[in-house]
Amino acid sequence: MSSEIALIGRIAPVLAEGLYMTLELSVLAIVLSALWAIPVVLTLISPRRPLALVARAYIEVVRNTPVLVQMYFIFFGSSILGYRLTGFVAGLIALTLQNGAYIAEIYRAGIQSVSQRQTESGLAIGLTPREAFWVIVFPQALRKVVPSLANQGVVIIKDTSLVATLSVAELTFEARLLVDRTAAVYEIFLTLALLYMVITGVFSGLMRLVERRLRIVQ
Amino acid sequence: MQPPAASVEIEIRNLSKWYGTHQVLKALSTDVRRSEAVVLIGPSGSGKTTFLRCINLLEPFQEGEIRIGGESMGYQTDATGRRRRRSERDIARLRAKVGMVFQSFNLFPHMTALKNVALGPVRVNGMARREAEELAASLLARVGLADKLDVVPGRLSGGQQQRVAIARALAMSPKAMLFDEVTSALDPELVAEVLDVMRQLREDGMTMVIVTHEMAFARAFANRILFMADGKILEQGPPAELFGDPKTARLQAFLKRFREGHQL
Amino acid sequence: MDLLIASLPLLGGGVWITLQLAVLAAIVATVLGLTIAFAQLFGGLVLRIVAEAYLYIARGVPLLVLLFAMYYALPYAGIMVEPMSGGVLVIGFYFAAFMADVFRGAMLAVAQGQWEAGRAIGLRTPTILVDIVLPQALRVAGPPYVNTLIMLVKGTSLVSVIGLSDVTFVGRQIIERTLAPFEIFGAVAAVYFVICFALSRCGAYLERRASFVH
Repeated sequence: MSSEIALIGRIAPVLAEGLYMTLELSVLAIVLSALWAIPVVLTLISPRRPLALVARAYIEVVRNTPVLVQMYFIFFGSSILGYRLTGFVAGLIALTLQNGAYIAEIYRAGIQSVSQRQTESGLAIGLTPREAFWVIVFPQALRKVVPSLANQGVVIIKDTSLVATLSVAELTFEARLLVDRTAAVYEIFLTLALLYMVITGVFSGLMRLVERRLRIVQ
Repeated sequence: MQPPAASVEIEIRNLSKWYGTHQVLKALSTDVRRSEAVVLIGPSGSGKTTFLRCINLLEPFQEGEIRIGGESMGYQTDATGRRRRRSERDIARLRAKVGMVFQSFNLFPHMTALKNVALGPVRVNGMARREAEELAASLLARVGLADKLDVVPGRLSGGQQQRVAIARALAMSPKAMLFDEVTSALDPELVAEVLDVMRQLREDGMTMVIVTHEMAFARAFANRILFMADGKILEQGPPAELFGDPKTARLQAFLKRFREGHQL
Repeated sequence: MDLLIASLPLLGGGVWITLQLAVLAAIVATVLGLTIAFAQLFGGLVLRIVAEAYLYIARGVPLLVLLFAMYYALPYAGIMVEPMSGGVLVIGFYFAAFMADVFRGAMLAVAQGQWEAGRAIGLRTPTILVDIVLPQALRVAGPPYVNTLIMLVKGTSLVSVIGLSDVTFVGRQIIERTLAPFEIFGAVAAVYFVICFALSRCGAYLERRASFVH
């Protein structure tokens, strides 16, 4: 029994650090992706065709290549260019670029589902088209796509595990280290899986609360 | 009931509009005087709604001029005589002077009634939030919804939503109001409450341009009726004249179908 | 550029592994996904609970963690799995969960009225299923199925982390020797792009077909 406790004593602090790193990375990646997606979607729906095409090309390239390859591209590519990025930063950039594209598409679906008549009402009381978009259309679009955004958030949290390949000390990386050191394979992987399920479960639960609060009554 | 020969609020001169090669409005001209209630009637496809939507430039138009309070709406001719669309800011400013109420209410579903009404004054007129909300509350009371300030549109009946929409338009202190078939989407028992508010507005002296299918209302309410068909104004005049003594065959046929209870 | 050409044979080998992985895992995922979907729709309480638990795990745990678990944990239990089979199974099992969602969603999207109409003519469940509901469900399922396939193809890149010589692994190997990340990873990315973009065009075609026939 005491060996079990000793084991937990050795594992827990290491996993805790990894957990902290995973959470930090997840929060940053989610926030940055959601923000980055805004200029992307504005470019995507822009009436100027060349701009819209650039956005479309970016989204297609990013969506059709694995995020792991994008991470390697940025990580190894940056050191060649002389700006050596840490695994953390390279991973964060790759996650933001990849998920920003998906979220931009989510925003777009939301925006296009808001009726043109809403814009007209805004114009009729004297708002400019730009004001009408930000005050009337975009808030409604966001409320409609909360479930899709929640899904994407879970994807982001799970994808943070990939930065382990760039030697970033998040959960999966630490877990693998521990397995090498302690040979407590089952316990560690079980804990690892449980931790991820808890994180994604809590996140999904939070997003459901957000959805309920923001829901538009029809 | 004739309004005094007051100043002209809305001038329309030779208004023409095409969708591609199809001309939907053909050189329309009329004046709307202050405190006048003008009602547009006519068969579907006559262009009456399109005409209304040109007044606040929700629809663009290719020829002619619309002046609101003396100022040209939407377009101006520059020094070389070319017609240009005015800046979005100028257009927005003029739109604020003309309130519009829509057939499908178009309230902002993510805001309470109070915020729906207060939005315009805050965003467009730069009013302080507290002041705007007081104004909104008084307007909602005026249309009979003082107890629904913090309710979202999804929880209001059609008639209540339409009254909020009227309050929202009034919040901008418009010089004139446009009504686009505002009772067509309402259940019959909810129509009366909206018409009551409109009557009250008229008594308060509001200039109104109304598109409607409700002939009884048109007859009782209007100072002047415009009968439109195929993009032209075929007849106009006081209700007694138009309904009692229609001169064109087209209007006669239109009224006959109405009297026989056909859907128009 | 010469480097790229010199690396082609190696990369080609990697592409072959990637393709094998993708196709085999896709088969596993589709078959298993159908099974789970049917268990959820038509199964008894026990089956439904098992299915839900399975889905909950696949949705909450990263694929990389599952691959590591297979790679490290199974040998520990004495089960020797070669990376290829193990990879196919883990990736297949993981994406089976997404497939199950796609199939279940498609079945539910076929209106209840279709079932009722079938019963009203006196047909029994298997006939209704095969002749009326499934054809409509398959049409609805097309585009999201293709989207899941795209995710699966991209997911195969993770086997590079457990040492399987797919095109990503090969790419990384070459980089560590030669330091030409843009050309090599550019080529690797291009491989995935071609496969996935082709799939997404299929998906777009299926989506157009799905909406016309209503």
